[in-house]
Amino acid sequence: MLADFGFGILLVTFLASLYSIVASLYGHLAHRPKWVESARLSMQLTFPLLTLASLTLIYLLVSGDFNVKFVYEVTSRDMPTYLKVTALWGGQSGSLLFWSWLMSAFATAVTLRKWERDREFLPWVTMVASITIAFFLGLNVFFENPFQRFWQTFQGVDAYTFRPANAIPFAPEDGRGLNPLLRHPGMVIHPPMLYLGFVAYVIPFAFAIAALITGRADDRWIRLTRRWSLTAWLFLSLGLVLGGRWAYDVLGWGGYWAWDPVEIAAFMPWLTGTAFLHSVMIQEKRGMLKRWNMILIILTYSLVVFGTFLTRSGVLSSVHAFAQSEIGPAFFIFIGVTLVASVALLIYRWDSLHAEGQMHSMFSREALFLLNNLLFMGILVICFWGVISPLITELVTGSKVTVGPPYYERAAGPLFALLVLLMGIAPLSAWGHITLKNLAAQNGLELEKRYALAIAKLLWKPAIPAVLVLIGLLAAGITNIYALIGLTFAALTASITLYEFWRAARARGRAQKEHFFLALWNLAGRNRRRYGGYIIHLGVILMAVGIIGIEMFQSETQRSLAVGESIQLAGYTVRYDSLAQFPANDGRWVTRAVVSVFDKNGQFLTELYPRYDVYSDGQPMTIPGVRSTLADDLYVLLINWEGVTSQIAPFKVYHNPLVNWLWLGAFVFIFGTLIAAWPEAEREPLPAQARKTKTVYQPGD
Amino acid sequence: MSESNSPSAPLAAPVRRGVPLWIQVIVWIGLLGLLVVVALGLRRAQQGTVQPGETIPDFTLSLFSGYEYEGRSEIRFSEFRGKVVVVNFWASWCKPCEQEAAELESAWRSYRDSGQVIFLGIDYVDTEPEARGYLTKFDITYPNGPDLGTRISQFFRIKGVPETYFIDRQGKLAYVQVGPFTSEAQIHAIIIPLLND
Repeated sequence: MLADFGFGILLVTFLASLYSIVASLYGHLAHRPKWVESARLSMQLTFPLLTLASLTLIYLLVSGDFNVKFVYEVTSRDMPTYLKVTALWGGQSGSLLFWSWLMSAFATAVTLRKWERDREFLPWVTMVASITIAFFLGLNVFFENPFQRFWQTFQGVDAYTFRPANAIPFAPEDGRGLNPLLRHPGMVIHPPMLYLGFVAYVIPFAFAIAALITGRADDRWIRLTRRWSLTAWLFLSLGLVLGGRWAYDVLGWGGYWAWDPVEIAAFMPWLTGTAFLHSVMIQEKRGMLKRWNMILIILTYSLVVFGTFLTRSGVLSSVHAFAQSEIGPAFFIFIGVTLVASVALLIYRWDSLHAEGQMHSMFSREALFLLNNLLFMGILVICFWGVISPLITELVTGSKVTVGPPYYERAAGPLFALLVLLMGIAPLSAWGHITLKNLAAQNGLELEKRYALAIAKLLWKPAIPAVLVLIGLLAAGITNIYALIGLTFAALTASITLYEFWRAARARGRAQKEHFFLALWNLAGRNRRRYGGYIIHLGVILMAVGIIGIEMFQSETQRSLAVGESIQLAGYTVRYDSLAQFPANDGRWVTRAVVSVFDKNGQFLTELYPRYDVYSDGQPMTIPGVRSTLADDLYVLLINWEGVTSQIAPFKVYHNPLVNWLWLGAFVFIFGTLIAAWPEAEREPLPAQARKTKTVYQPGD
Repeated sequence: MSESNSPSAPLAAPVRRGVPLWIQVIVWIGLLGLLVVVALGLRRAQQGTVQPGETIPDFTLSLFSGYEYEGRSEIRFSEFRGKVVVVNFWASWCKPCEQEAAELESAWRSYRDSGQVIFLGIDYVDTEPEARGYLTKFDITYPNGPDLGTRISQFFRIKGVPETYFIDRQGKLAYVQVGPFTSEAQIHAIIIPLLND
């Protein structure tokens, strides 16, 4: 039986990962490289094995073998094939298997590389990766077996891994099917993106632990895993954005982010991961913040596991939560053990991780990066408190008090604004170096003053567009102080970033006698990480503009309309024209309204088709009709609470200014990350001390 | 961070002996405290549903408009003392709930005029438009309201939806049905002995 075969494979893989842990440890302790090699190979074996197990489960899903409990729970006969495949991550046990599969793919990829220079890391990287794989596989084997089958006994039907005595297999007629809310392309790729981001962070963590155990205090582990961190970060960011887009398209509440505990659970590792991405540059360039980087990567890994735990243990209630199961305690023990072990290791190695450099000034690049990190940590603390406080209030008062979006918006909003501003100022510190030297030659000012002066000298040109934007906003009659501050910061940061591109490209163009655009191209090629990073910053600014737009200026209205009647919002007129009800070819019963949209001069703009779908299993889904422009979205919902007739139908209309900049920014963001992560020939790294004395700056450095 | 701040490297690297003890103590206490909080939360989550025989603590439920109780949009659980109370947790996204919706409504209609039994529908983690669509679709008439902040479901420590709680005239939990009812007779079979108590 195929399901038994699948479970057998899981069991073998679990044993292989256990063997890998033991062999790597023994190989190191007994100084037997062959055992370490064997541990590596055995870990790599988990990938083909898990591929086989996953393919088996996918086959069962596609062939509709409802004897298997998981297949019954997440698929039904009327689902299209691609959804049956992606139902692999539509339920607890399958998604755990999927998690392990991705994890082993990443671990295999990282151990395929040449290890000559870093052989001492190998046993520990293998061990940490294998422990993580073994843990997730253990959950599958002992608690959540996706290959469990239904058996009919005298007591009735239940699911078992092994056939009970006197039982005969039982197969329901049809499965329960996937929740229709999840039958959306965004939802099909949102979870894998998040999982990819999550598992990819295990790699830098494994190297960090290897560095701690071996006591190698240089930045080798960071250089080795730089691209992994970026990859993890890219996937995590994509996962978050796709989740937001899905909510906007499908949930029908006109928003994209609700500060739900599970959203925050995915957002928290992103925060520490982003801080990590920035602070490792200081370790690479200055040999500082070593301890901080260790803390950040340990936090990121712990938050990845913690986030997975929150979603799956039933500790917090959430729309995202999986059905409750018995894996909570196992997760808890795993988090506790890994966190305690990592912190103990860090304390043990604390001394050897002392800084090689020193901080020159409050305006130095190191100081600004540290400030950036502190802001990210501030947001993390706010988020963490929001998530954990229901548990604490429950202990103290006996009932869970959940904090809502206003708490997060009020507490984290100013920090986000400061981050945007800092994003603009930080690049100045890089040029600050050059200007600084000129100024230093002129007079004997104190270092602080020289830095401040250098920055002021560079700031005034890019500040002009920001002031113009502010004047424009005031002229347009915008009085919301938060929006004014936010948009001015965004404009300032954008103009500094663009100015930086222009300035560096022009300097290079002159020096190398290149055309401006060629110079721009070569510039980005020469220092991919910096210029990729600036592009990411531009993407973030676009997203910030979109977020400010929808958060501060969203308006909504709702009313029942008779055919021919209309509703006004934000200068638009929405007229209800007609209604049609018909079956779609996939079994949905569609109620579709036709509305016409007019602008404030009565000019016809477009027709929209808000829909109300009812799936064959009776679950409804509200699909908005959206007119989307760069200026705003008009988001029209057909709501079904008072019953829709062809004569009167209730509508809800949202006006979401600037929201498209959010999605546009996401594309720029991805493009920037790809540039930053694009492989370049690995240069032989110089020791931090030697690099510090390098004083030759090329334009664009 | 405790990065060295003084100039000239040789002087700036005083020999330090690891992390100061008091910081270590704080770190470990903080870490353990956090783990304890999560562990207790987890234990509560794992405790399972309220057991029969337990007295249900009082709670208030705000009701959807159109689903009020005697014209009021908010009710207290304690005001039903002396009646048999059937508390049904449901959600519009919950498919098994639909299997029992018609049965529950039909059972409710047979007791509605006697005044001896009250049905309460509690909508768990849902959006209002969907919830109303559900109530309309199954023509549900008993009082229904959202479980704001999931407070009520936490009283009952529900494990999922649907779950139905039968509370006797003394306010004690008499019976818990986890999962949907398959017939109306099943519901009557639980209520009738409670009415005769």
